[in-house]
Amino acid sequence: MIEVRDLSVRYGAVEALRGITLTAQPGHTTAVLGANGAGKSSLLRAISGISPVTGGEILLNSKAIQTVPPEKRSQLGLAHAMEGRRIFKQLAVHENLELAWSFGARKIDLQKGIREVYDRFPILGEKSTTAGGLLSGGQQQMLILSCATIRNPTHLLLDEPSLGLAPIIVNQIYDFIASFARDTGATVIIAEQMATMALKVSNYGYVLRGGKVVVDGESKELLRNGIAETLSSSYL
Amino acid sequence: MSFFLSLLLAGISVGSIYALVALGLNLTFLTTRTLNFGHGSIMMICAIVIAYFASLGYAVPLLLIGSLALAVFLGLCVERIARPALRGGGSMGWVVSTLGFGILLQGIAAREFGSQAVAFPAIIFSAADFFIVGGVFVAYQYLVVLVVSIMLILIIELFLRRTRWGHAVRAVSLDAELGVVNGLPVKLIITMSFVCSALLAAVAGILVAQVGGTVDPAFGFNLVLFGFVAAVIGGMGSSVGALVGGLIVGILSKMVAGYVSSAAEHAVAFALLMLMLAIRPQGIFVQPEVNKA
Amino acid sequence: MTALRSHFTGVITHPWFVVALAAGLAFFVMNTTTGTVQILTFILINVIFAQSINVLTGLGGQISLGHAGFFGIGAYCTAVLTRTYGLDMAVSIPLAALLGGAAGYLLSFPAGRVREVYLAMMTLGFGMIFYEVVREWVSVTGGTMGLSGVPSAALRTASILGVPLNQIAYFWVVLVVTLIVVALLSNMTRSHVGRALFAVHHNEVAAGSLGISHASTKRTAYTLSGLLAGLAGAFYAHLVGYLGPESFAVHRSIEVLVISIVGGLGSIAGQIISAAIFTYLPEALQAFAEFQFIVYGVILTFSLIVLPKGIAGLILDPPRFIRPSALAAARARKPELVWNDSVGRVAVKVEGLTKRFGGLTALDDVSLTLKPGNITALIGPNGSGKSTLVNVTCGIYEPTEGRVMLGDTDISGLPDYKVAALGVVRTFQDPRLVPSFTVRENLLLGAHCLGRQSGMAAALALPAAMREEAEFLAEIEAVMELTGLSDFADTAVDSLPYGYRRMAEVARALMARPHTILLDEPAAGLSESEMEMLGGIIRKMKEAGLTIMLIEHHMDFLNDLVDDVVVLDSGQVIYRGDIDGMRKDQAVIAAYLGQEEEEEV
Repeated sequence: MIEVRDLSVRYGAVEALRGITLTAQPGHTTAVLGANGAGKSSLLRAISGISPVTGGEILLNSKAIQTVPPEKRSQLGLAHAMEGRRIFKQLAVHENLELAWSFGARKIDLQKGIREVYDRFPILGEKSTTAGGLLSGGQQQMLILSCATIRNPTHLLLDEPSLGLAPIIVNQIYDFIASFARDTGATVIIAEQMATMALKVSNYGYVLRGGKVVVDGESKELLRNGIAETLSSSYL
Repeated sequence: MSFFLSLLLAGISVGSIYALVALGLNLTFLTTRTLNFGHGSIMMICAIVIAYFASLGYAVPLLLIGSLALAVFLGLCVERIARPALRGGGSMGWVVSTLGFGILLQGIAAREFGSQAVAFPAIIFSAADFFIVGGVFVAYQYLVVLVVSIMLILIIELFLRRTRWGHAVRAVSLDAELGVVNGLPVKLIITMSFVCSALLAAVAGILVAQVGGTVDPAFGFNLVLFGFVAAVIGGMGSSVGALVGGLIVGILSKMVAGYVSSAAEHAVAFALLMLMLAIRPQGIFVQPEVNKA
Repeated sequence: MTALRSHFTGVITHPWFVVALAAGLAFFVMNTTTGTVQILTFILINVIFAQSINVLTGLGGQISLGHAGFFGIGAYCTAVLTRTYGLDMAVSIPLAALLGGAAGYLLSFPAGRVREVYLAMMTLGFGMIFYEVVREWVSVTGGTMGLSGVPSAALRTASILGVPLNQIAYFWVVLVVTLIVVALLSNMTRSHVGRALFAVHHNEVAAGSLGISHASTKRTAYTLSGLLAGLAGAFYAHLVGYLGPESFAVHRSIEVLVISIVGGLGSIAGQIISAAIFTYLPEALQAFAEFQFIVYGVILTFSLIVLPKGIAGLILDPPRFIRPSALAAARARKPELVWNDSVGRVAVKVEGLTKRFGGLTALDDVSLTLKPGNITALIGPNGSGKSTLVNVTCGIYEPTEGRVMLGDTDISGLPDYKVAALGVVRTFQDPRLVPSFTVRENLLLGAHCLGRQSGMAAALALPAAMREEAEFLAEIEAVMELTGLSDFADTAVDSLPYGYRRMAEVARALMARPHTILLDEPAAGLSESEMEMLGGIIRKMKEAGLTIMLIEHHMDFLNDLVDDVVVLDSGQVIYRGDIDGMRKDQAVIAAYLGQEEEEEV
């Protein structure tokens, strides 16, 4: 379980988060929606410890972690797929996977993990010795997702996994995300601009605006209330 | 012809030392994207300490161990001192801080051991040992220097390419933040890179002093410049590049020194640096980064 | 405390104080020992030398570890010219300075290509080569034996224009030249030259967007710096009368760096104070001389951490970049907005633009026209290529294929500063103002590409240069009025709330008198009321006939503002038309809502 209480983040003069409170349940996928600059990435980055937190609390399974250094948080079972195609571009696919597995808390052994990844995304298996930077956008996104999930984390943060991808790949990736929380019992938080998509696969949703939660509720409710459409008509 | 061969051999010998210096610069460049301008002073102090205490009659093996321990300590110092500058992001603070540390070491050495050259004991070999190949006298020291350099470069290359921790070092150099998120102990890796770099500096310093026969407080600066040129030619961060770059700089500068003028050595290095930065700034062995920013 | 500091700054930087100090010194040397005169002359030489670092590093942000090279070039030049060729010092010293400047100019070409540690290494190499050359070029420099018999004031062998110089007279000569140097530098710093140097120092890309070429700005910095170091070296030669290579080794470069850093990079007054301290101390304190290297080492290691702004940062107000007299002249003028002559007449057209980064296609055959006088919104999800399009249009990137047209001229591939000078100006997603500049200084930077006055005119504070400065300053009043920044005119930007910074960036772009303005997410991070104000400003621009492109996500903000909408997705234009049509467009909805599109795949 991830709980965030009254969290504030500030970069110099810019207040990215102004008192966010949110709970993400284990076995569920929680969607964080909002426009560019609403604070989605800052929220995820604060949870994994790389944003400057100026106030509030972050709890992982009821344990406050805001003073735990970021590299230690991954040993508490946290994994974070960052936005912006963040992989080690000059390392090979298998090296990326191996690194992602090696230094955090892990529940399966490396060979099994890699096999699962290649079974799920065969194209990564074919390109296992290719440098990450030479993959196509979709393949990179698969790799990022695989890196974040290879050690079966108990807490998974995904930042815009669909960004700039062809719809068919988006579907493939979302299918995997939807099943991950359900099958492994992990707590999954996903930040998305594409509201409809995210709400379809998630259990609960939060809508951010200007660094604050403006709406939250069951994803089904939000979908029924047309939150997604409202969102995209006020923010594009 | 034999003049050419002996120049070639001398070039290979100094070239492999430049390669060691380049390798030391590379290690910290990999993890921090900056250079340690005090690298030369670490080389100097590790060698001069041996030379000085050996002249007082201390056992050389003990001194070697002491010198390497000193290198570890100095590596930790550089990292600790320059850490705030590194966090500040500006390269200026970093350059000035590490340069200052180097000058401090140089100042201490000059005060404690005098600014004159100190004779370095014959540890591994004496300068007089040689064998003859094709009519050319080959000093054993050239061979030893070359072998040591190649071995160290191989070890480091294997470490970086084949081990998990090696991959972690490369990962830190590519994207430290992503490394942290993946649980890599980035700070430890950076600290270790400074320690290893300082150890390489000590080895290079000892070898140079052994070949040259003497050490003086000012001897590091030149070597760092040549080492840097070697690193740039090979490509900053590449170990094989360091070796090739070192050999290119070493051989070329010896050839020019032999056939043209011994004063032109620096100019050759400088010209190579300019040429490289103009033609292929990333060096021979490094692929240009694909970066949209 | 701050009031006291301002007062103190006001006094010691006041021209009359400087003149009084100089006059006092001029009298003092007549009644003191020759040793003291020698030290005082040396202090002046180090003042000039330190200013040379200050121009290059303090203003221009380019580090140099080889300044002894320039210093030595000046010293040997005048030494050889006077000693071997019998030239008069009145000719040889200026020639020496010019040669130093020429060396700086030449070094700026390779040095301008590299930065940070590469630059540091390159300059270190320059210094070392110079040292080697001096040692080996025996016929000219005397090699390691050195060059003795250089006309020297101490030996009473020096003369200028035939008038023999004793040490006191030589001090006077150096004092007058130092005063002139400091006066010119102080004028230059507070002119477009100083501001451009500092802007390039802070952010080359942002400077380019204001029409400042970083290459030529750096060339200026190197040339000037070489000139000053050469001048200092020339005076040094005639002070000591003997030149040996050891005087121009690395430690000389280090020493001047220490002086400059401790004095406070960027502060002219700080350099003078520091030069006095570090020249006097080794002479006065034997212990200091003994530990000199250790002390320098410690200072360099910790100074930028402990005291990043040096002595000047401690006891003086931060240096400013506008002359008070120009401000006073501006107050006499009527604040007035000035618009570009070709406003509303030229269209920017993007034709078949493709931009690839390695394997990634950021823009894929994009065509669009910004109609004169219209507001075009550029919309698209994260990573769809909006910023890349702006960057290619403004000359930051070269297009892979296709072209950018300004009216009938092809401007694709032109460097950013030329595009800006042609009246196409952009703002950045993250405000890229110079943080230590005041709002007014930042806005004045915006007018850089309009300036017609030379750097020389500015350094001499010629009336024409002052008039131009006043004209821009008056215009700034009007722009600040428009953008609600009047109350913050003299506030440093880094202590300004975020909303005002964004506004200042728009204001700065306006100061360039553009006919086309590209605003990259100007409303991001603004409050409702600030957004309203921004909307008002954009409307004003449109009324004036400006062509505007707006990247924005807030639909409420765009609704009643824009004429045309262009939507990008994955680097391709997926919609072109009006805003109502866009809301109903299936492709746009899919791009944003992420609804399944299996039928299309």
